[in-house]
Amino acid sequence: MLELANISVSYGFISALKDVSLNVDEGEIVALIGSNGAGKSTLINTCAGLVRPGGGEIRLRDRALLKTPSYKRAELGIAVVPENRRLFGEMSVRDNLCLGAFSRSSMGRMPDLKQDIEMVFALFPRLAERQSQRAMTMSGGEQQMLAIGRALMSRPQIILMDEPSIGLAPKIVARIFEVIRQLREQGKTILLAEQNAAASLRIADRAYVLELGRITMQGKASELWEQDKIRKLYLGENKT
Amino acid sequence: MTTIALPARNEIRNNAATVLAFAAGMIALPFVFGNGYYLNTLVFVAILALPALGLSLLSGLSGQLAISHGAFFALGAYGSSILAVRLGIDPAISTILAQFIVAAIAAAIGAVVLRLRSHYLAIATLSFAIIVELLIEEWSSVTGGMQGMIGIPPYEIAGMSLTSDKAVYLVYWPITILMLWFALNLSVSRVGRALRAIREGEPIVDSLGIRAANYKIGVYVVSSVFAGLGGSLYAHFVGFVTPATGSLMFAIDIIMVLALGGFDRLWGALVGVALITLLNEYALGFADYKRIFLGVALIAVMLVFPRGLLPGIIDLVGSGLRKGGADARRA
Repeated sequence: MLELANISVSYGFISALKDVSLNVDEGEIVALIGSNGAGKSTLINTCAGLVRPGGGEIRLRDRALLKTPSYKRAELGIAVVPENRRLFGEMSVRDNLCLGAFSRSSMGRMPDLKQDIEMVFALFPRLAERQSQRAMTMSGGEQQMLAIGRALMSRPQIILMDEPSIGLAPKIVARIFEVIRQLREQGKTILLAEQNAAASLRIADRAYVLELGRITMQGKASELWEQDKIRKLYLGENKT
Repeated sequence: MTTIALPARNEIRNNAATVLAFAAGMIALPFVFGNGYYLNTLVFVAILALPALGLSLLSGLSGQLAISHGAFFALGAYGSSILAVRLGIDPAISTILAQFIVAAIAAAIGAVVLRLRSHYLAIATLSFAIIVELLIEEWSSVTGGMQGMIGIPPYEIAGMSLTSDKAVYLVYWPITILMLWFALNLSVSRVGRALRAIREGEPIVDSLGIRAANYKIGVYVVSSVFAGLGGSLYAHFVGFVTPATGSLMFAIDIIMVLALGGFDRLWGALVGVALITLLNEYALGFADYKRIFLGVALIAVMLVFPRGLLPGIIDLVGSGLRKGGADARRA
């Protein structure tokens, strides 16, 4: 479904991604794990068209995306759950959800949003209670739910999630990962960038490990989970 | 299942009801109170409300500030006047042509400036306003220079010239109310929601499918045409234009009017304009101290009421009443 080939990105003289290739197939969760500064966000933003790569190729269902502007990629079915949520804090929960469906609407014709909003509320009942509240007044966990809901509103082909667990209490993190697993069961395709290797490898089908802008390991999530190196790097487990 | 109220449709219905009631009231006014000088003052309220509503759309909805609304008011006034006087075009048609000129210039400025971040718009439009003022003063063969232009024809409807205050009132107010209605609906539409999202300054709006740069240019063009239309209506009402018409100071007055009425309220823009125009006309000596009054109001807004003076006072009184009510219940 989504394919990156030999993508390189640099910010000025600093190289953020070097020759990165990965692919996400339809209906799978692919985890992208790495520590702070490994290049996870850069990779997500490159897929979303917010960062321009210096070289390489991005394809969505065999359609070349490299020169496609960000707003167009949204129309083609790429939705982002950005790092730190990036909600429209002054606007209501409902407005944020409606904005999520923006790419589906055209001038003068609103798509039927009601059904989609109901779907999001079924997934996150808490958001239904808060639908008229300003987004910024909600807790971190509720905001993360809204960010995911906003992405779902576009009926995306693929959802790119950038650290959905960041800054949240363990109980909320567990709830968020549970929802991501549910979304896969509904047939959604997800690329999940996470520092939380343990939780993401548990729900992912496959995973890539990103270190200093390079992919250093890849494979089935369950197999990577068995590797000592991962456990040492991301879980702090030492050989006993 | 929780009920989901989709905002836009309800709000558009509510707007229509309020605007219709307001329109009915304004149109009934001359028939109830008869003719009088007050109609002349209210015509100016209808005219000046247009640039204020335009700026309110730009600053309130999408969070940008432009200092070019005086310049576009002048371009609307001079554009339509030059076409009507020098080329003999019918004033109604020259007014429409002038708005195309205004829109084209605004689009050109927007295309260059609005790709950058927001405060560049204020600086660029300030320079544009100065250029327009100089152009009007110096290009005297076309604009009449410092003397301005006289003998600008009034509009004609079905062979009747709009010369009496009442006739102009009955044509201008429906135009202003239509523009208000358009602005109100725009602000609750899908486009309005996108503009409010852009206003929050998150760089990710594009990844939701919103082409932010184009929306910013679009709202700047619409906002400028509001000012341009106000200028044209002004010129064909008073019959003359001078470089003072839509000067830089005029643009700053409009910003102050919004500070008074509230930056993010379209009705507030109308109330602000009405208040200033009426005080100007009927409060003895107010005109001399207008800028001091507006200046103090602006400082109060910046320090105490960031959403605008009138909304701030309304909130203050409202919370005072609620508090008073609670005290009364306790007693």
